[in-house]
Amino acid sequence: MACLERASPALKEILLKLYRANKSIEIDHHLYEFGSVEYHIQSSASDEHHMYLSISTPLLSQEVLLPYGISHHTKQMITAICSDVVEIIEPAKEGYQLTLRLDFSKLPSGKDTLKVIAEISAVQAIILSSRLKEMLMNVDSHDTFQGMYKPIKLVYRPSEPFFIVRQPQKFIAVFPIHFKDKPDVIIATTFFQELMDVGSSEKWAKAPPCCWSPIPPPELRGELFEDLSTTGGFVSFEISSWHVKGKKLDKTVWSLLNFYAYVKFHVKSTRSFIQRRMRKRLEGLVELLHKRNIKEVEVEEEEEEQSRKIQGCKCMIRISNLPKPTVLKRRYNAFSRTIKRIRSRIKIQGFGRFRRRWLKMPKFSSSMGYTKLE
Amino acid sequence: MVGANTLRLYLTCIRNTLDAAMCAASAVCHLQNFPCQEVERHNKPEVELKTSPELLLNPVLICRNEAEKCLIETSINSLRISLKVKQADELENILTKKFLRFLSMRAEAFQVLRRKPVQGYDISFLITNYHCEEMQKHKLIDFIVQFMEDIDKEISELKMSEHTRQAGGYRVS
Repeated sequence: MACLERASPALKEILLKLYRANKSIEIDHHLYEFGSVEYHIQSSASDEHHMYLSISTPLLSQEVLLPYGISHHTKQMITAICSDVVEIIEPAKEGYQLTLRLDFSKLPSGKDTLKVIAEISAVQAIILSSRLKEMLMNVDSHDTFQGMYKPIKLVYRPSEPFFIVRQPQKFIAVFPIHFKDKPDVIIATTFFQELMDVGSSEKWAKAPPCCWSPIPPPELRGELFEDLSTTGGFVSFEISSWHVKGKKLDKTVWSLLNFYAYVKFHVKSTRSFIQRRMRKRLEGLVELLHKRNIKEVEVEEEEEEQSRKIQGCKCMIRISNLPKPTVLKRRYNAFSRTIKRIRSRIKIQGFGRFRRRWLKMPKFSSSMGYTKLE
Repeated sequence: MVGANTLRLYLTCIRNTLDAAMCAASAVCHLQNFPCQEVERHNKPEVELKTSPELLLNPVLICRNEAEKCLIETSINSLRISLKVKQADELENILTKKFLRFLSMRAEAFQVLRRKPVQGYDISFLITNYHCEEMQKHKLIDFIVQFMEDIDKEISELKMSEHTRQAGGYRVS
């Protein structure tokens, strides 16, 4: 699939590993990537300098299929990565559309090495985008020919065709949008409407004008009914000559090929964003409800405890009723006990209780005292 | 400014009505325990059954506008509050539906929330005498009013953040 990254990360890692290895490694890897892309990497210990990379990928095709798979122009573009390093083997290995022989001994040194390896890892993107590049390169052509204004249907995946309509000095790329779920449709259509509004502003005057409509645009009149029945409407981009000059051609083509992938990615990430927000808000609301009621319970418990403290013991003698010397004596005793406690170095757990129970001096009755009779 | 004023008035009206509804149910200033008159040893919220008209009070419908309204139905042992939230466009519509459905599915966390809203409304609360025994009446009312404010706020924030994310999205050149 035309995913958002050009270079295959797994392939790049393996190529870098092979390049950095001091001795030749025996490798026979099959890599499968999303979108029915398959790579086969072979490296033999006997052949130090060469390794073989075979690629199988669904091609961006028109209604009339190309009988010979990859075009000559595409092959030229692949060889142009680094002609010393990359050589196309004919015929390709069975089951694959393209087989390359890579000679890492001829790789340029320094930063260019990584650049070349990254471009080799992106060979699937080159194959995929070559067809569209060939079409868009002639945008400035003033030739009128039979077939102008007739939409060309490009199919990568059967459920995601898009149309290119050639017009004088511009191309129009039309993407029929289809989603199964209604929320996805609404998120996508809101996105397209916002895209239209933002695109029409002065800041983005240089970007290709974007247009969304719920009904098929006039350029697609006469197309098959199944291609024109969608749930998310139609998005059109106008590609002019300045959008495909020089290095911009690559970027424009890659953006058009990735449009469907980007829209799906946006819808998916929007749904997960909404889900995260909802969870956060739910936690906040639950906390709010329980906090209100827990606070009340805590306040009630505190009040109960305070009322118990105030109530106290009925047999307590009020200190204010005692004579002053007794009050002073009691305070001095309490103070001396505190000092002793601080100064005592040895503390035995539970000794205090033991002392109070078993070591207290017995009280002898005084001749002055009396016993109350019941 | 006008919107904020009408929202304030709307919420104040709901608060006062809830206050009156919870007190009006009985002379003891809260919903009281009332066993089911029809089935022995059963205790059901009468506002849901609606089998005994003598146990039901008149429902009160408070409308802020055509799109936003609140229905308060009271009975001797329970109170049901149903809310209809404003949905200006399709995006707000799906955001509101998703969010309220998300909350309703987790109703056990809120205790007073109904799993399924009453027909014609977006979300419903069911407060019984047991809830009034566990929680304070005025705090429950505060929570419901706060809940309504938070829903409005959340939907607006979601919509705003959506627009921001979309504007910073796809760039071709």
